Amino acid sequence: MNFWQFMISNRQQVVELTLEHITLAGVSTLIAAAIGIPLGILITRSPNLSKPILGSANVIQTIPSLALFGFLIPAPWIGDRASRLAILALALYCLLPLIRNTYAGIRSVDPTIVEAGRAMGLTDRQLLFQVELPLASGVIVAGIRLAVVLSIGLATIAAAIGAGGLGEFIFRGLAMVNNQVILAGAVPAALLALAADSLLGLLERRLNSLHLKS
Amino acid sequence: MTPPHTPAPAIQFDDVSFRLNGRPLLENLTLSVYNGETLVLLGRSGSGKTTTLKLINALRLPTQGEVRVSGRPTTEWDPIRLRRGIGYVIQDGGLFPHFTVERNIALVPRIEGWSRDRIHARVRELLSLVGLDASLASRYPGELSGGQRQRVGVARALAADPPILILDEAFGALDPITRSGMQKEFRALQQKMQKAVVFVTHDLREAMLLADRIALMEEGRLIVDLTVEEFSKSQHPLVRAYIEAFSGSTQAGSTDAESPPAAATETGTTHTRPPQ
Amino acid sequence: MRFRTSDRAPEGQLTIARRVQRREFPATIDSSPGGTTDFPRQYFRTEAICASLLALALLLPATACADHPNRIVVGSKNFTEQLVLGELFAQIIEARTHLPVERRFYLAGTFICQQAILAGRIDIYPEYTGTALTAVLKQPPSGDKQDVYRRVQQAYEKQFNLTIGPPLGFNDTFAIVIRGDDARRLNLKTLSQAAAFTPKWRAGFGYEFMERPDGYKGLAATYDLRFAEPPRVMDLGLLTRALIQRQVDLIAGNNTDGLIRALDLFVLEDDRHYFPPYEAVAVMREGMLKTHPEVKSALDDLSGQITDDDMRQLNYAVDGQHQDVTKVVHEFLVKRKLMQ
Repeated sequence: MNFWQFMISNRQQVVELTLEHITLAGVSTLIAAAIGIPLGILITRSPNLSKPILGSANVIQTIPSLALFGFLIPAPWIGDRASRLAILALALYCLLPLIRNTYAGIRSVDPTIVEAGRAMGLTDRQLLFQVELPLASGVIVAGIRLAVVLSIGLATIAAAIGAGGLGEFIFRGLAMVNNQVILAGAVPAALLALAADSLLGLLERRLNSLHLKS
Repeated sequence: MTPPHTPAPAIQFDDVSFRLNGRPLLENLTLSVYNGETLVLLGRSGSGKTTTLKLINALRLPTQGEVRVSGRPTTEWDPIRLRRGIGYVIQDGGLFPHFTVERNIALVPRIEGWSRDRIHARVRELLSLVGLDASLASRYPGELSGGQRQRVGVARALAADPPILILDEAFGALDPITRSGMQKEFRALQQKMQKAVVFVTHDLREAMLLADRIALMEEGRLIVDLTVEEFSKSQHPLVRAYIEAFSGSTQAGSTDAESPPAAATETGTTHTRPPQ
Repeated sequence: MRFRTSDRAPEGQLTIARRVQRREFPATIDSSPGGTTDFPRQYFRTEAICASLLALALLLPATACADHPNRIVVGSKNFTEQLVLGELFAQIIEARTHLPVERRFYLAGTFICQQAILAGRIDIYPEYTGTALTAVLKQPPSGDKQDVYRRVQQAYEKQFNLTIGPPLGFNDTFAIVIRGDDARRLNLKTLSQAAAFTPKWRAGFGYEFMERPDGYKGLAATYDLRFAEPPRVMDLGLLTRALIQRQVDLIAGNNTDGLIRALDLFVLEDDRHYFPPYEAVAVMREGMLKTHPEVKSALDDLSGQITDDDMRQLNYAVDGQHQDVTKVVHEFLVKRKLMQ
């Protein structure tokens, strides 16, 4: 049986695990964005917080991912369900690119424009939502793109702690010494990552080009 | 001599000093601007003119002394309300690149909650006022020429009809012909609108064309504060230096003379001057 | 009328500007149809739509039901005995209920299987009562077979909504193994009897057995084993060979290891019940049983059907004779008349 036949005859499982994988990566990226983007905005407003916040996110990312999964297993409530644990760990992992890109994106906005906006009487909130965020959106989406690709990749390791996803094929295939099973996990995971990267890349380029007209 | 005005000045600097990180950028500035009057702040870079401008709309607050706008110190104003009542024009317009021309101009009216129709009408009105074709309303600043952007910048500053207008080297980035045109149009607009205008430039001819009064600044201090006529007749060494620097270079059509020669203090200049 | 940048605007333009203001502007001039809210909606409309679709796409799978209403998924861990048991469950369910069965074997271990069944990704898997007690419920190993079974059954039902099936009939506990000829010559049946001879023997154990609290230390204490030298520690796979080649005289293996009989090895009885019972049972999801109660009756038929010896034979067929698991299980079920 070749690879395609295997995929087709096990399509139910392939689809199920792919959906699981998307959930793991998707929910964790959304959580990381919901926390990381506001944090990134915060440190543009309070620069003395930038070192501790960026520093912490950096430390978290330095922890080897499997070790991070392992640390959280004994935690109450979180450790009870591997999927919760995996989502939390993946979200922590994706914080750094989101915080950092939000921060860098906002800071890269031409200060003359920001000052002009302020001089015209825009409140800080109006400046943020009407000027800084739109102009920083390309860089921010670049951060989201990085986070999505990162979490799709790391989610394969989540299977090692029982969270499921396409990594389960990979680990089972390794135990069975069966390449087809391994590929049944590896190939869809790679395709997912490529697809997400391309789509978000398109979005990023479009957002950047919108004000390259100046 | 400054003519006597009975109404209170729109803008008043009362012995104002400003320091940044220990460096004094402005020292003991006392100055007034009345409604209907155009004051030009003339001076070279580092003279403190831009700082003075930013003290008016509370982008900076004085370290000493008081800046009063419409009678109230800037420290007591709500900065948002203050700034929405002051039109601000900078070089190259400072337009938002991701807004259309219409949205750029409509900025303050929109955040002030004007009705859609009123804003629409106002934008059309302003476009024609600054001499731009209405079809430009849906373009983006990146598609416009420098001159067009500058006009949009002026239109934007005028949008909510603020009583005060401050401009920072607003025509500095334009080519000489456009610049000259803009200066004349601006003069015409001023005469029509009667706002309190503070215009910053280092170009004497621009100053003489646009000003009712000229305040010459150097190294953070006010040197002289005179009407245009008084200025052209003044024998103050720095004034003379400026005049001579600019009269010397009106020959071959070059416009932006560099700042006048370094001998800007009391101790005489390198040019001959008429006897005191 | 508009000012061109190349024009020298004469003074009269002001009057022209005034006139221009009163002109009607063509209706085609339009900028944003959306209007005058603060947020530059036109700019972001497509982007916002894309972003919302993406977010929705990411969240949607989370809402997908974990239940697979018409399939039964059987899981297993990644060693031979587990594969055999998993296949047993699968085939008997297929034969008795005609429900489609999906196999998800080679899951990496107890924790993975537990997580998978809690998340509903598998419906059944084979577990051992002792392992459930210590590794999953995190309780100290104590009590006899029935006691452990009862505690595990009650706890699993209460905490996890998982049903424990009846014991399959064998106990895959740690086995203390000696050579067959030693057992016959010295007439040894139990560990207590063997203890007397330990000063003359060398022991060999795997790393885990040396480290575990219910491993070597406790064993030596319970039976008063005194070996002449400290035990040799080596890979599990090498232990059997070392025993055969007389490099060691006593090892710890699994009770149901396939090679025990084949190599004429003897398992000493744990007469003081040092090792906790590891009875093999089926762990099943209650949710699945509600929809398909026939699955339980099918698995109940396996109750008590597999003795220690049976399991060793099955393991040997796969490990020692390299037969296909599916075939071995099928033949077993037919021979026992559990299946046609």
